[in-house]
Amino acid sequence: MEYRSEFTGSPVVVMIEGVLTFDDHERFRELVGTLADQAPGPVVFDLSGLTMIDSAGIGMLIMANDRIVKRGGGLRLRGVSGQVAKVVELSRIEQLIPIG
Amino acid sequence: MDVAHSQSEHHEPARDRILIVDDQASSRLLIGSVLEAAGYTRLAYAGDGVEAIEWLAANTADIVILDIRMPRMDGFEVCREIRGRLALDLPILVQTGIQEADCRVDAFKVGASDIVSKPLNPGELVSRVRLHLERRRMIGRLQRYQDRMEDELRAAQSMQLALLPGPEDVAEILQPRGAAMTAFYRASHMLGGDLWQVFPVDETRFAVFMVDLSGHGVSAAINAFRVNMITAGLVQERAEPARWLAALNRTLVPILPVEHFATAFYAVIDAGAGEMRYAVAGAPPPLILRGDGRWEELSGRGLILGCLADAEYECFSAQLGPQDRLFAYSDALYEDFENPDASLGAEDIAMAVQAEAAAGSDAFSARLLTRLFGRPDAEFRDDLTFLLIGLNAS
Repeated sequence: MEYRSEFTGSPVVVMIEGVLTFDDHERFRELVGTLADQAPGPVVFDLSGLTMIDSAGIGMLIMANDRIVKRGGGLRLRGVSGQVAKVVELSRIEQLIPIG
Repeated sequence: MDVAHSQSEHHEPARDRILIVDDQASSRLLIGSVLEAAGYTRLAYAGDGVEAIEWLAANTADIVILDIRMPRMDGFEVCREIRGRLALDLPILVQTGIQEADCRVDAFKVGASDIVSKPLNPGELVSRVRLHLERRRMIGRLQRYQDRMEDELRAAQSMQLALLPGPEDVAEILQPRGAAMTAFYRASHMLGGDLWQVFPVDETRFAVFMVDLSGHGVSAAINAFRVNMITAGLVQERAEPARWLAALNRTLVPILPVEHFATAFYAVIDAGAGEMRYAVAGAPPPLILRGDGRWEELSGRGLILGCLADAEYECFSAQLGPQDRLFAYSDALYEDFENPDASLGAEDIAMAVQAEAAAGSDAFSARLLTRLFGRPDAEFRDDLTFLLIGLNAS
């Protein structure tokens, strides 16, 4: 997984690319930490460059949402497609994290 | 865990047994006196390679100090013998003369742990001996720690396997209710986060439950044990899939860490009436394989478990005729992260299950895995479970 963001503006948009799996835990935590320091408001994860996600990846999105919501911001996902869209649809996480 | 304990604490030279191999009596004496002065008292001597190998066959050493040029059997041959037959992890400290520079690479090739130059520098010799003995002790401690962990994991693994119903338990519930089931479970790391169960509902109906806790290994397994305990208490709700999953979810939310969740499928099957009522929590949609060769994916969906305490689940229903089969499976069966293009679609799975189920229930799981992945013991990066339920089994 790679991520890119200017960490400015509102919302702060983060492009997440590649595959998001158990192995990306450290890197993803680093992203969540940076967001906590630099993005007090709403955040958008743009997943249009994300090709695959596993259950650990879904867990990381839920964890990020939890952190962002707890500090008064909001997380939104956009650009889900392919396998990611299928996993998101099965898990119904739009009930936890708005999508679109 | 005490593997990281300090190195100095365990430095007890008097305990270590050192074999000194040299054809020159004066060299043996010199090495021996240097080591004795450093506190090493358990010293043994060999005058050539043959004597060294004989001694090592009958005794154990903690380190060998070995000369290269010796009659009968030289140091290279002794290294090969030790590495080939006696002890892979025994440190061997080879002494070489200045004019034997070529020897050094060859010595390492045949298994020397380290080299000291002749004429010997007493301080250097003692330092290197001490270093290798400490390293060996550290490896020994890690090895014992690993052995103990493996024993504990094996014990936990058999406890986890004992959670799953055996074929007799399944038959006792399903057979009188007009059904039969084949189950397959394999954890990817000894312990896993998959679990499945069957329950009697009333005289004509039974329930089947399958859950996949996120993650794998020890933490997922502990959560699987927790789910097993929770579901034993969900008796009032057994006939109502949506209420059953909602109750399980409510109990899991405060237990599971925020990034952990579970996917699940719960169905109540009435074989006589040909009806199944079910609820889903993020699980891959099970397949119904019709007796006439058609197949369909169950359309019900629901939120993953363990995230939202007041989540509501919907109850769906499907017809299940006498010749139909239900196939439920965890995502490890179709997701291939190493090779995404090889990920299986529902149709691939349906076709394979149809073909293998038609050939009978004997060795169904092994045949299905062979058809899908080329061999019955294919490896998966996640825990794999699948259940095949047929009605009207007689």
